[in-house]
Amino acid sequence: MNARKALREARLILIGIPVALWTLVPIYHMFLFALSSKDDAFSGQLWPSHPTLNNFAIVFEEKHYFLNHFWRQLGNSLVIAIAVGVITLAIATFAAFAISRLKVRGGRLVMNCALFTYFIPAAFLAVPMYKAMGVYGLLNTQWALILAMITLASPYAIWVLKQASDKLPYELDEAARIDGASPLQLFRLVYVPLMVPSLVAIGTYALLLAWNEYLYAFLLLSNDKDITLAVALGHFLSADDSPWEVLMATGLIYALPPAAIYYVFRRYMVSGLTAGAVKS
Amino acid sequence: MSTIALPQAGSALPSGPARKVISTWQRWGLVLLAPYIVVFLVFVIYPVFYGLWLARHPQSYVNLVNDPIFFGSVVNTLIFLIVGINLKMMVALFLSGFFVRTQPWIRWLSVLFILPWAVPSIPTILSIRFMLNPEWGIVNQTIFRLTGADGPNWLNDRWIALSMAMLVHIWKSLPFWTMILIAGRLSIPAEHYEAASVDGASAWQKFRFITWPSVRGLYLTSLILSMIWTLGDFNSVYLLTGGGPADLTHVLATLGIRYLRLDQVDLSMATIVCALPLVLPLVYFMMKRLSK
Amino acid sequence: MASVAFQNVEKNFGSTKVIHGITFEIQDGEFLVLVGPSGCGKSTLLRMLAGLEEISGGVVSIDGRKVNDVDSKDRDIAMVFQSYALYPHMTVRDNMGFSLKLRKADARITTERVARAAKILNLEPYLDRFPRELSGGQRQRVAMGRAIVRDPKVFLFDEPLSNLDAKLRVAMRAEIKALHQRLKTTTVYVTHDQIEAMTMADRIVVMHDGVIEQIGTPLELYDHPDNLFVAQFIGSPAMNIVNGTLHRHGGTAYVEAAGGTRWPLESGVGHDGQQVAFGIRPEHLAVTDVGTVGAVPAQITVVEPTGAETELLVQAGEAPIVLVTHGRTSVRPGDAIGLAVDPAMVHVFDQASGDRLVPVMQ
Repeated sequence: MNARKALREARLILIGIPVALWTLVPIYHMFLFALSSKDDAFSGQLWPSHPTLNNFAIVFEEKHYFLNHFWRQLGNSLVIAIAVGVITLAIATFAAFAISRLKVRGGRLVMNCALFTYFIPAAFLAVPMYKAMGVYGLLNTQWALILAMITLASPYAIWVLKQASDKLPYELDEAARIDGASPLQLFRLVYVPLMVPSLVAIGTYALLLAWNEYLYAFLLLSNDKDITLAVALGHFLSADDSPWEVLMATGLIYALPPAAIYYVFRRYMVSGLTAGAVKS
Repeated sequence: MSTIALPQAGSALPSGPARKVISTWQRWGLVLLAPYIVVFLVFVIYPVFYGLWLARHPQSYVNLVNDPIFFGSVVNTLIFLIVGINLKMMVALFLSGFFVRTQPWIRWLSVLFILPWAVPSIPTILSIRFMLNPEWGIVNQTIFRLTGADGPNWLNDRWIALSMAMLVHIWKSLPFWTMILIAGRLSIPAEHYEAASVDGASAWQKFRFITWPSVRGLYLTSLILSMIWTLGDFNSVYLLTGGGPADLTHVLATLGIRYLRLDQVDLSMATIVCALPLVLPLVYFMMKRLSK
Repeated sequence: MASVAFQNVEKNFGSTKVIHGITFEIQDGEFLVLVGPSGCGKSTLLRMLAGLEEISGGVVSIDGRKVNDVDSKDRDIAMVFQSYALYPHMTVRDNMGFSLKLRKADARITTERVARAAKILNLEPYLDRFPRELSGGQRQRVAMGRAIVRDPKVFLFDEPLSNLDAKLRVAMRAEIKALHQRLKTTTVYVTHDQIEAMTMADRIVVMHDGVIEQIGTPLELYDHPDNLFVAQFIGSPAMNIVNGTLHRHGGTAYVEAAGGTRWPLESGVGHDGQQVAFGIRPEHLAVTDVGTVGAVPAQITVVEPTGAETELLVQAGEAPIVLVTHGRTSVRPGDAIGLAVDPAMVHVFDQASGDRLVPVMQ
């Protein structure tokens, strides 16, 4: 019996090791580069012979041609992500409340429109969006990116929040109505406090979506002082002699906040987002 | 009795509009719905119709079909969808069975396993891109160290590069779909498995007769949704190969953007219109499933 | 306090009509129970009074004032829901004071009223707890407290006891009744449980398929059901119903049922040959010896002693009959007995219309 148990455990480990390697190698490689000097980076070693934090110093002191506006771009990413998170959350919460709780006429149609938008592949919407932003005169302004990301994030946000709202007992609204609540009081005093876990998940989702976005940022922004860090990282691709070790250090700095946020809110995120993502 | 003053309407007053009570709430509903409706009209409806209008000339489609890159991109996209996504979902289904186990080390591994999904794609894809560099990349240097032979030129051959792009896509989105299928598996009552064990079912039979029937619907929905999203996956190809070598690894998403960057908006929109026969049935399927 | 009136009230959901022109009045201070099987429209009627459902036709008025187009919050009503609908994120105190807070009442008044309601309902130790920390009965009391604090014109209860276990239900029943006797607020109470209706109501409205079957005090309904539906709905165990043909010979009358059993009536009911439903309550039957004159021959199938009384399931001809005897009995399953019927307690209904034929004189 014990031998069989050990055999089963061994089989699981045989699955576990490749899974761990597959998952971690690209991330480890990023670390490796970030800690390597140029010579070490290009030598193909599995651990740098002289680990160094010099790359980070270059980034923080904006000491490379590609990184002249590093802090500015980091700030851009942050401001845009927060703006998208907050505005999407507001729009989506209002909409979900109107559809699910106020049962507004036409709410179902709007929900379907939102779902439809959710299903348009992002890269396909990018082209018409780019042209429309040109028409609106928003091209090369950060509002273009903020509005585009709100457009991309709100359908899923509304969908998940509506699903979560539907689970709140409707009697609560009726009790509040009889208690004398106006629609706004119902929203503020009953609905929002009860929706906090989903709101955290959705706000984080929209924020991360905007922070991580590359394609739209790269289409809609071009001025070096306006672009986000994601676009700045993409610029490294444009030259053959790019300092990859510095790129990886920057990439690591860029990747840390979303990873941290994700792990802090992991409980909310996994249940909140996977539950709404696919209804079987 | 009541100390709270209430507005008293005269009992003899004729009734107002019949729907007055409801309409206060309805009016607020519309007010709260308005921001999204505006966003939808301004940033979805107008752009989509403007885009379709830009793609109205038949000549654009002639030019598109005459561009040799187009046909290759269609083939690449289909391979990406049919081979890549099915492979990904099968692996996700397999791994979801692995990760539902309760051993502590598997729990820890599942926390790490989420990383590719939790971190932004640019730095990690660029990291993979450099790993695959034929001269300096860690992959080929390791191959050389171990065998003394030169590794393949990963990103300079159409099929290898396309396969790598698919692997990058899988690397990035596998955790998400595995989590979805884990959730599906966890919703199966444990008694079903216990009953099957008592009946002497093998592991395969348990999968075949209990797990699969329960997660089949979820699996199919996930497969379709993943296909739709993958059609819009720009990063995996663009950041890894840039469409190269010689524009041979483009998919429709990167091709559309390529035309846009070349200021050929009509071709760009025509590419997207050509992808619609692929997208719309999938979207229709999803809408039917989700808007129940 | 106030009176409530329904005049020809109708409700449609789309093209389906669920309430068909209902008219009745509720007196000031009355405890009125709406009872009926699920789907009969009783809850819909209550929700129309509460302003939670649109009124498709007719007039609902509170204290003589038409409220069809008045928002719930301006109708001066309070409602206790089946699920209690307590706000999960508020303490008991905040739950009870919420309506006053919304009305921007003085904080001192709110505190005072909440304290008074908590005292009446024995909720004082729980004021700072959250609903999830309370038992079912305590939640129920908080829901009532929320209503009391309002000091409304009308209390509405929508199946408030269905989520409680049997023992607690009996206790809360008494509590609600005591509360009403103390506050004397006009109350409309919806339930599907006829025992709740019988024990609590001043008057009962029996509803079925969107129409009123009968309105009356509990004992009026019990003693003089207007039709078969009310006869079978009110009373537990339910009234025995035997279908048969009415026969009249000279001064005597009886109903002959399938299997040849003859059920005695007082004369003067119906006409010879009429197809009728013969109804008799279980406590108006008695066990006698086989062959007693006028008794219906039957056989015991099940004996269910409950201590104070004994319920007997017997077979009379083709009809299964329930009878209740006080005290103990020595009969056993399989025994052949006679059923003694008290003709004065018999109810006769027309089979086709279900209407009561002639009131039974006592």
